[in-house]
Amino acid sequence: MSQRAAQLARVIAAVWRISLAEAIAYRVSMLMWVLTTTFPLVSLALWSGLAAGGPIGDYARPDFVAYFVAAFLIRQFTASWVVWELSGQIRNGDLNTLLMRPMSPMIYHAIQNLAALPIRCALALPIGVVVLVLAGGLAWPSPGSLALLGLSLALAWLLNLAVHVAIGCLAFWVTESTALFEVWLGLYLVLSGAAVPTSLYPAGLAEVVRALPFHASLGFPVELAIGRVTGSEVTHGLLLQALWVAGFGLLAAVLWRRGVRAYEGVGG
Amino acid sequence: MRHVPRAMFYLRLVAAQLEMSTLTALQYRLGFWTEGLLGLLWSVIGIAPLFVAVDHLGAVEGWGRWELVVLTGCFTILSGLFTAVLQPALRESMTHILKGTLDYVLLRPADGLVLCLTCAFQPWHLVEVLGGLVLVIAGLWLGEVEVTATGLLAGLATGAAGLMALYAFGVLVLCASFRALQLQALTHVMEALMDFGRWPAQVFPPVLRLLFTFVIPLLVMTSYPAEALLGRLSWGTVAELAAVSATLLVLARLAWVRSVRGYTSASS
Repeated sequence: MSQRAAQLARVIAAVWRISLAEAIAYRVSMLMWVLTTTFPLVSLALWSGLAAGGPIGDYARPDFVAYFVAAFLIRQFTASWVVWELSGQIRNGDLNTLLMRPMSPMIYHAIQNLAALPIRCALALPIGVVVLVLAGGLAWPSPGSLALLGLSLALAWLLNLAVHVAIGCLAFWVTESTALFEVWLGLYLVLSGAAVPTSLYPAGLAEVVRALPFHASLGFPVELAIGRVTGSEVTHGLLLQALWVAGFGLLAAVLWRRGVRAYEGVGG
Repeated sequence: MRHVPRAMFYLRLVAAQLEMSTLTALQYRLGFWTEGLLGLLWSVIGIAPLFVAVDHLGAVEGWGRWELVVLTGCFTILSGLFTAVLQPALRESMTHILKGTLDYVLLRPADGLVLCLTCAFQPWHLVEVLGGLVLVIAGLWLGEVEVTATGLLAGLATGAAGLMALYAFGVLVLCASFRALQLQALTHVMEALMDFGRWPAQVFPPVLRLLFTFVIPLLVMTSYPAEALLGRLSWGTVAELAAVSATLLVLARLAWVRSVRGYTSASS
């Protein structure tokens, strides 16, 4: 048993090294991806401009700066792109190679995601710091809440990963699974808090939006990072995140198992 | 007089190219639902942050609710044209450059740039253009705006200038990909950037407004045509915007000529 665990650890370490090397080799294209996700930074300029005349809801100007810088960084930390790779691999038969390897393709994809994180952070953190210096003002969370933030980030990343795998697995049956993901992305931009803090939606609608998985994957960790949620709201939010992770994780697992069974391995 | 048959030749050429890609696209009927309608949905959902701002502020820098609908309509038309006509052609051409198959395009007895810009076409996204037109008309009607003939003319002129600017910018991106092959992701950056065209020009801080008017002419494409329709744009500004687009077009053409001269086929 311990021998198997040791072997798995070695395999994981090897995949990590390969993925890290890949990430470093394609750093220009990764910088492009980081730039694509600078969306929250222009939102920052917009909303802090709009808030110049006075606070909007319970967000004053510096609050918007803190919110959107945190949103930008957290999007980098929890990013996943498995859906593009997985649906491509299913369609052109590259999945065959992965299935032959002594580890689940799911673990392979997860490690690949994690391995690119250090590079993404190295590219994103300076941008975040520069914006903070230019725009001024951010109260970082107290050390005590950092642990909770870490947990929330991990859950957000798992949620993103599960959603990516679930939608990517649809490629086993339909050819246009990435188009479906674009829909998810469109909803995500509006409902996750990337374009506007979800607490600013009109009362009634806000509660609904904040219960959705989009908010769990971005809005909640951001609000936790800038100290907007406290007390029982924290436990509530974390539980909601865990619930969505469980839900989408289950969906992804089921779709993956049934999909592999239906898979014909064309082209391999 | 020799120009007339030449122009006819190019018209016929463009028509033939479009017909060919339309026939290819018609094979994937599912695309109508996944791409066209969902693209439209996405464009319309994006109005949510604007409405949140109107909700809290009454009006966004002088733009009321229905005026923002007109703006969103203009944005939807433009983004529909981008994803239907320009983006697929840019991607296809970039793949040609990457693989070295651009040789076969350049060898044909017609202008290389025209061939590149018409080599792919996704007709389904024209649904977005229709939806955008409906939004513009609905916004004008519900907002009880009286559109004058000069306003309409100015709107069409700025819209045409915006479209030219978009094409010029696309060609510049294409030229950049001659130098750095990894810049494939640039069309995604362009797409992400275009989302800021949803917002009225006045919302942006001065630096960003200059950037988005003269360097990345987003606002020329969406905000100014909407203002022209609402009868708020002076002819001086219209002329200025036309000059910006014309300059960009000349720059783009020069960049293209330079790039093709420096192009060393990657395949052989």
